Amino acid sequence: MEYFTPVRSVFKAGILLILLAFPFTVKSQFLKTVAPDAVIAQYAGSIGFGSIGGTYDLWKGKGTADLLYGFVPKSKGGSLHIATAKFSYRPFRIRIGETATIYPANPGAFFSYHFGKEFNFSWSSEQYPKGYYWWSPAFRPHLSLSNEIRFHSGKTPASHRIREVSVYNEFNTNDLYLVSWAKNRESISVFDAVKMGFGVRVYF
Amino acid sequence: MLMKRIIPFLLFIVVALAGCEKFEFSPNQKFHQNTPENLNAINIARLQSSAGDDTVRFIVSGDPQRAYNQAEDFVAAINKLKGIDFVVVDGDLSDFGLLQEMEWVHEIYGKLVVPYVAVIGNHDLQASGEDIFRRMYGPLNYSFIYGGIKFVCHNTNSREYNFNHAVPDITWLTNEFKAQPGVTAFVGLAHVPPTDPDFDHDLESAYLHAINYSGSTLGSVYAHIDKGTTWYPDDGESPPVYTTNAIGNRECMLIEITHGILHTRTISF
Repeated sequence: MEYFTPVRSVFKAGILLILLAFPFTVKSQFLKTVAPDAVIAQYAGSIGFGSIGGTYDLWKGKGTADLLYGFVPKSKGGSLHIATAKFSYRPFRIRIGETATIYPANPGAFFSYHFGKEFNFSWSSEQYPKGYYWWSPAFRPHLSLSNEIRFHSGKTPASHRIREVSVYNEFNTNDLYLVSWAKNRESISVFDAVKMGFGVRVYF
Repeated sequence: MLMKRIIPFLLFIVVALAGCEKFEFSPNQKFHQNTPENLNAINIARLQSSAGDDTVRFIVSGDPQRAYNQAEDFVAAINKLKGIDFVVVDGDLSDFGLLQEMEWVHEIYGKLVVPYVAVIGNHDLQASGEDIFRRMYGPLNYSFIYGGIKFVCHNTNSREYNFNHAVPDITWLTNEFKAQPGVTAFVGLAHVPPTDPDFDHDLESAYLHAINYSGSTLGSVYAHIDKGTTWYPDDGESPPVYTTNAIGNRECMLIEITHGILHTRTISF
């Protein structure tokens, strides 16, 4: 486990930084710019048993970018440490009065990186002839489709710290599942290649 | 309060769906709640409790990695054959060492009427693959006795250990191929054949010696090279070395052992 310690510390420091960087607690203009618009916590979804990070709203809420750190404990099939960068687009929007907004179908993509010596990014030229294996065990591109409901707090007092909360449900597949399914459409179901997770965003 | 409305809703979803395999923690996770365990031991026990006859008849299939359509046809074809005792998947169940891949293979091979055992291949050693294989199937080196024949399944994927001279494990093999009561002959089963560049060349002669240690080895069977071949080392003085074609090429090998004689036949499906 010594192996993960530096990585873990960097992530812990990063998360701490995000937590400390909420706009209402910081004075500096720089931190205001880099501080995320929301904190995010996700269950499953191929990037950890649990993962946490920050969300940046893009194009006035028409898109999101998330940075997350995920962990799978040994008891859940790990231990695994995963860093993820997510992007999604929200083309449709349904307002439910003052209470909420539904984003019914948000296509996106995300990239995950697994830390650890068994997850090499590329292949050692010393150990393998060129082109022996072609994929990257550590780096995984995913395609995603999510739906999200964002609850507006309406006329909450200014002292109220949580501005808005949204919950989402996200489906994803990855490059390796897709190539596996592509040539075996008769024998394996596309639903096997699609995995799921859900999460919550809290806007401050 | 906003959170008060949402938290019970979230808890409901977690409780309702937590056991569902759709909720993947990582493509590299080593198991989920419903992943089968110790399949080799379970299937060997099933095999040993079956009533055999004077012929041991088994199928060696290779490299089902990412060839699920062909693997389904293979299972259907083998289920129609009479007198088969068991089936071997001779390595490379997976292409990327992923749990989902090994589960796909088990879903398909699990439909075989007879028991099957799995041997470790080089692709199965990628990412979390080794841990997944150990949990789902069992040790990388193991053996079992059926019909008086000892089958020694072992790891020959030397390149994955950067040719550290520890794979294949010559000491373990020598011990396994020693003459013992109740065993009339031996058969070796592994993924990378000893003639392949992925096999530790420095261990080749020690290996060929070890797998015929008792002098009663009938042959050894491999996969990996995606074609069916036969080689007689030492001008036929040593037991033959066979390779089976890949499942993706719609061929496998039928082996029959009667009265100490081993016959092979290629089966197309």
